Amino acid sequence: MKSLALSPIAAALLALSLVLPGCAPHQEKAGGAKTLVVWMQMDPEERGRLEKNLLEYQTMHPGIMVQAVPYDTENLRQTFQTAASGGSGPQLIFGPSDQIGPLSLLQLLKPLDTVMPAGFFDRFVPQSLDTLNGHLWAAPDQVGNHLMVCFNRALLKEAPRTAQEFLRVAKEQTRDGRYGFAMNVGEPYWLAPFLAGYGGWVMDNQSQPTLDTPQMREALAYLADLKNKQGIMPRESDYQLAETLFKEGKAAMIVNGPWSWSGYRKAGIDLGIAPIWKLPNGQAGMPMTASKGYSINVNVKDSEMPAVIELVTYLTSPQAELREATALGVLPSHKDAWADATIQNDPFLKISQQGFAAGRRMPVVPELRVIWDVMRPGLQGVMNGSKSPAEAARGMQASAMQQIASMKR
Amino acid sequence: MLRASARFPYLLLAPALVVMLAVVLFPLLYNFYLAFRNMSLYHFRDHSFVGLEQFRLILAEPTFYQLLGKSLIWTSVNVIGHVAFGVLLAMLLSGPVLGKSVFRTLLILPWAMPQYISALTWRGMFNYEYGAVNLMLKQWFHLPAVPWLSDPFWAFCAPIITNIWLGFPFMMVVALGGLTAIPKELYEAAELDGAGSWQKFWNITVPGLAPTLVPAILLGTIWTFNNMLVVWLVSNGGLPADNTHILVTYIYKVAFTYSRYSYAAALSVVVFVVLLGFVMYVLRHTGRAQEASQ
Amino acid sequence: MTEGAPIRWTPGRYLVHAFLVLFTLATVYPILQILTVSLRPSDQLYSTSLAIIPPGASLKAYHVMLFEKPFLLWLRNSFLISASVTLFGVVLASTSAYALSRFRFPGRGFGLYVFLLTQMFPATMTMLPLYVLLRSLHLLDQFAGLALAYTATALPFCVWTMRGYYDTIPVELEQAALIDGCSPWQAFIRITLPLASPALAITALFSFMAAWSEFLVARIVVSQQAMYTLPLGLESLAGQFQTEWANYAAGSLLVCVPVMVLFVALNRSIVSGLSLGGVKG
Repeated sequence: MKSLALSPIAAALLALSLVLPGCAPHQEKAGGAKTLVVWMQMDPEERGRLEKNLLEYQTMHPGIMVQAVPYDTENLRQTFQTAASGGSGPQLIFGPSDQIGPLSLLQLLKPLDTVMPAGFFDRFVPQSLDTLNGHLWAAPDQVGNHLMVCFNRALLKEAPRTAQEFLRVAKEQTRDGRYGFAMNVGEPYWLAPFLAGYGGWVMDNQSQPTLDTPQMREALAYLADLKNKQGIMPRESDYQLAETLFKEGKAAMIVNGPWSWSGYRKAGIDLGIAPIWKLPNGQAGMPMTASKGYSINVNVKDSEMPAVIELVTYLTSPQAELREATALGVLPSHKDAWADATIQNDPFLKISQQGFAAGRRMPVVPELRVIWDVMRPGLQGVMNGSKSPAEAARGMQASAMQQIASMKR
Repeated sequence: MLRASARFPYLLLAPALVVMLAVVLFPLLYNFYLAFRNMSLYHFRDHSFVGLEQFRLILAEPTFYQLLGKSLIWTSVNVIGHVAFGVLLAMLLSGPVLGKSVFRTLLILPWAMPQYISALTWRGMFNYEYGAVNLMLKQWFHLPAVPWLSDPFWAFCAPIITNIWLGFPFMMVVALGGLTAIPKELYEAAELDGAGSWQKFWNITVPGLAPTLVPAILLGTIWTFNNMLVVWLVSNGGLPADNTHILVTYIYKVAFTYSRYSYAAALSVVVFVVLLGFVMYVLRHTGRAQEASQ
Repeated sequence: MTEGAPIRWTPGRYLVHAFLVLFTLATVYPILQILTVSLRPSDQLYSTSLAIIPPGASLKAYHVMLFEKPFLLWLRNSFLISASVTLFGVVLASTSAYALSRFRFPGRGFGLYVFLLTQMFPATMTMLPLYVLLRSLHLLDQFAGLALAYTATALPFCVWTMRGYYDTIPVELEQAALIDGCSPWQAFIRITLPLASPALAITALFSFMAAWSEFLVARIVVSQQAMYTLPLGLESLAGQFQTEWANYAAGSLLVCVPVMVLFVALNRSIVSGLSLGGVKG
């Protein structure tokens, strides 16, 4: 009988559903405890620190449960956008400063300067605060995100300081199946330090794109030369690849940010960091800097606000910011934490501070999304040799103008 | 035909229809509504009626025609690939083959894999220096490596190859089922008449398979045209340089990167109309053919 | 059954076998690739070696996934959802397809094509309204919400498959049963449904898979980690830049195994049950 073919499966399904633990998706909220939800964009290492902070917070505040849900940058923004515009979503989101651009414009965040207690923002180092349309939208718990040169100490004693030195060292190191240098050349964020080093920038004070400039052409030409002419870099040098090479000891130097450093150490690399070398024009590379922090969902009810404010205050306290800060290699945003001896005396973070000081603040206006997006094709075109720097710069500017216009329509 | 009370078929159909209409109808209507408004980053809470403006914009931009062309290429190459490999393998497997069920089981596996896992795996395999595809080309065939993910042409080929891999098992299974329905006597009679294999294929196999394959191709075409995941994941969101977008990945990008909701909704309506037109055409065409053959 | 028949080994036969072996190897290779990554001792996506078993292979990732990550919780969640979608899919598709196959009634054409129509609209833009809809039904963060959405996704294919298969079953059997005094419902349950078991298998399999591997809808409906399904869980292993590749690959393989087992178990039904039927009603 044919129908028998199905019965083992039905039986198996039934059996499995009995064996697996019972269905209880909703956590029992003992004694009417309040649950707060945080959606966060953090790398696995940093999530560990947040878990510990939240554990401490929950022991300090019995009756409050905090759930942290990890997302990557894009998913966080997209999902939050859907959830918050549908009238719900988490109380808090944590992510890089530029996400406040679109989200505040969509009126999905509360302006924090009006909802947090007076004077709340005085506690932060000024470089960590970004104002947009006259309001602060995020409470930062760290500053940085600045790209630096990372080098393998087993291969070289110190990082090159000038363009000539860099080339010499990179060429020396390119041998035995190893590259002198690897970098994520497909992402505009990695072009930014070179663009700024040559004196250019992605936009002017009115948030108008400034991509078709001599500085942009020089920066593109410099990177293209490094990648395609000098024979010191792998051919398809994206993030994963550069990362893998450096972790395997198959690249002597890489340009990457604080989020990557603990991973390199864990992979057994004797890691050194240094500010980006002086470009051929004599100016040091100038990375973008940004803070990361907590923003409050516009849908949070007034009755919930005290608990949410208290949580944000705790998560941006010196106590929370200093936990594992040296191991993670992140710079705190709270003035007291910044001045703390563990930060100031850590040799690694000291160098990181130099890199941070050499940087320039990343804009948070929504136009930046478009600008990143239109820079990518141009940058990749120059890197794979299909476009000249001049063509690429022209193309970037033209499509930036067009996309910004259609975004604003 | 069966006879029953007039209510009976409606009762059978109702539960499924209720689910479909509940989950699909509202989003659909909402989209049509959005398509005539100007909901975007700057008009998110205060959007207003703009008539056919979004459609005018879409049709005025050359991007749309390029994307439509790419979508058509994407769909046709994929569906042809699915059918060609599917039918070929099905024919081979319905002949005398040692370990037939082993082959059939292994060949079906791509269908069993969740698409997001396959797509990411293939993306890794297409890496220039470390991907298995180029390593094989170099180490086994001494061919130059192909810039799968950085050259616009190859970067469009990469998701196509991935999707052909994903989709041929379905067509193979459909064709295997269809082949069993063709009476062996037809082939035997044709052999007596001295027909070659090619003639047998065109005169017996193809018409014999058509009734089972046409609906599968129809459905496959719709699925492929609307398949966003494979292109998006293999090309990492349209890289390099937004060169790999097809219509549906572009909709995703416009909606979620630029928050141009109404534009994206209007573009979705256009896709819907294109597919609807295609399906109506096929149905009318094959319907007539079937009537003629009856 | 040609399986047991002796094979005449002509050159052509050898060629056919060689082709099948090569094609099968190429087909299976990407899956082996996942295995390779999962066995790598460090979290690397890339390597220049083509060896299937990498040097220093370790099963650590599997241990981590099964015992240190909430993998079993994800598995349970996915399983509960997929099982209910399978159940709904089979019940709804088998009944509605029966109506479409066996009866002529006003609105039949609409019923037939409404399923196909829903497949033509790009899924992206239905996310936001779907979210609003599920929220107003209080189905956010509920397995029922996901199950409802997935059932709607799987139904069109299932209905067409079931209808196609019913069309191949001679209607005379039921007519005879009706004459013998069965009700139409009894005729359907006792006679047609058992005969349609291969198509039911396909319907079950397809519904199961639709729910098992979906994540775009899951991402907006589910926001509690306790309710993560397998795809969401796997996704959470990926950081913005740092991804636990070995764990990700091990998890992927573990996710594939149940579906593969189902496919192998249902192998025979799949081939005989998959007939989408003539397009003309």
